[in-house]
Amino acid sequence: MTGRANSIIPNSIVIVGGGASGGVLAAHLLKSPNPDLRVTLIEKRPHFGQGIAYSTLLSAHVLNVSAAGMSAYADDPGNFWRWLLERGLATPEQAPVYAPRSVYARYLKELLDELQARETGRLRLIREESLSISPTGSGAEVTLANGTSVVAHLAVLATGHDEEPGAGQGHAIRMGSEADTALDPEARVLVLGTGLSMVDAFLSLEQRGHRGEIIAVSRRGLLPSPHRKGNPIKLDVADIPLGTQLSYFVGWFRGLIRENQKAGTDWRDVVDGLRPFNQKIWQNWPPSAKRRFVEHTKAWWDIHRHRMAPQVYARVTEAVQSGRIRLVAGRVVGITAGDEFTVEVQSRHTQNIETFDVARIYDCTGIARDISTTSNSVVRSLVDRGLARPDPLRLGLDVSDNCEVIASDGTVSAKILAVGPLTRGTFFEIDAIPDIRAQCARLSRRLLG
Amino acid sequence: MLTKKGKYGLKALVHLARLPAGQLAFVGDIATGNNIPKKFLDAILGELRNAGFVQSRKGKEGGYRLARSADEIKIGHVVRVLDGPLAPIPCASRTRYQRCEDCNEATCQVRHLMLEVRQAIAEVLDQRSLAEMRDIAGDDDLSAALKIQA
Repeated sequence: MTGRANSIIPNSIVIVGGGASGGVLAAHLLKSPNPDLRVTLIEKRPHFGQGIAYSTLLSAHVLNVSAAGMSAYADDPGNFWRWLLERGLATPEQAPVYAPRSVYARYLKELLDELQARETGRLRLIREESLSISPTGSGAEVTLANGTSVVAHLAVLATGHDEEPGAGQGHAIRMGSEADTALDPEARVLVLGTGLSMVDAFLSLEQRGHRGEIIAVSRRGLLPSPHRKGNPIKLDVADIPLGTQLSYFVGWFRGLIRENQKAGTDWRDVVDGLRPFNQKIWQNWPPSAKRRFVEHTKAWWDIHRHRMAPQVYARVTEAVQSGRIRLVAGRVVGITAGDEFTVEVQSRHTQNIETFDVARIYDCTGIARDISTTSNSVVRSLVDRGLARPDPLRLGLDVSDNCEVIASDGTVSAKILAVGPLTRGTFFEIDAIPDIRAQCARLSRRLLG
Repeated sequence: MLTKKGKYGLKALVHLARLPAGQLAFVGDIATGNNIPKKFLDAILGELRNAGFVQSRKGKEGGYRLARSADEIKIGHVVRVLDGPLAPIPCASRTRYQRCEDCNEATCQVRHLMLEVRQAIAEVLDQRSLAEMRDIAGDDDLSAALKIQA
């Protein structure tokens, strides 16, 4: 059967957001041989391919995934590793290599430069801020801050992570933002969060010569685990219980780890063996299981699943042991602003309230926040006009399994799509390149054949 | 391989899927209506409850009902809970692998093909919902006729 209503092949596609996910999507779309294809990539930052994730210049900020897993292309997993080898930035015996994120930004930039040189007619890069997207009779129109607009058959949102801290974080600021002014090197600071973003913040503070105490607070006070070289166990979808209640699944998974550990297999190989099925597991869970996972299990899952390079882990644990970083399990119950901030934290274990006087509060609570309060004007205007809505758990935008944005009345849009972290509610783990490139490859195949 | 346990569990769920939403059924009624030994059915329903497919209420007015709507429950999901990993023969499983005494699994062509077959089983069973299975019941001539007309 070919008689689908929207089976017309879209010739022009505009991608809003030229960071990592937008760049990876453009690269996959341009694999199509269609000579009439027009791909437009819009990015407000000075550089294409970086986004927030890869804009750091700090060499200590390395990728959290080894180079072997970071190719931009789903069908050529060794692409980034070869690129490193060709430029003498790594040698084969060094593997696994956790490359600096700035090097990865260069890889994506070169990839887009090459595409632009080769695809003069088919790829257009526009350096401008997008204000809004509106559906038109035959497609979608993206309005730009310079007063012009781009019209295409399809618009794809690839705006990635939010740049501003979530509402309700009070006096907390983002590391490296304008509010992050010079700081007394001896000052004590407080970080909201103990995950990978906190680790990044610690490395930045070290780089700046900061020596004061760092109080890191999260509900459980858990630090992510380090990577270790291994071989993921082999699983098939037929092995994995789908669609059950969360407790049943967690029981099964803990049992699987126990059995494998008895046989001498590292737990990482079990966690990584499940990865190809994570989206399927998420999508088959009833809403109650998804909600429970986010509330109770996600913190535990994240520290095992989202790991850091061994050399970074060594630095962080040393800082914890020396008392430079203090991990606190609890929640912030009050902040008083004066010359300094007085932060009250209620301990998870004793319920006692401990008070910290700190010079600054950094927001490293991670990437999930309510999408309807996003600082991104394109996304907010879609939500405000009812052209898009948050997913039921408010992790991102509600999209179909085909990346189509769903309006407030439930209508699935054929003209406005989304990829990357915005689609977290439907695709669950869609923050890392290995998952984003698979999503982009699937979407490109569906759109262009 | 679908065991008796898997088959009984599916029959019990079809029984529950035919009830008006929210209504409970006695274990005894499900057992006699589907020729299932009652003690065995108790154990099966207990497992289905742990996995979140059915809910129970204790006491005189007690019994079982579906925990979710019948079109959300997929047959493959139920079979994995009752029978373990989907597999046409015991050696064709990754997590519940049972070695055959009489062959070498590395070179066994039968096992290789059966690993492929289990993918196909998963594809079929994970697509079909309990509601669909209920509606293909052969003993309901009227609904079968309506389905053909539609």
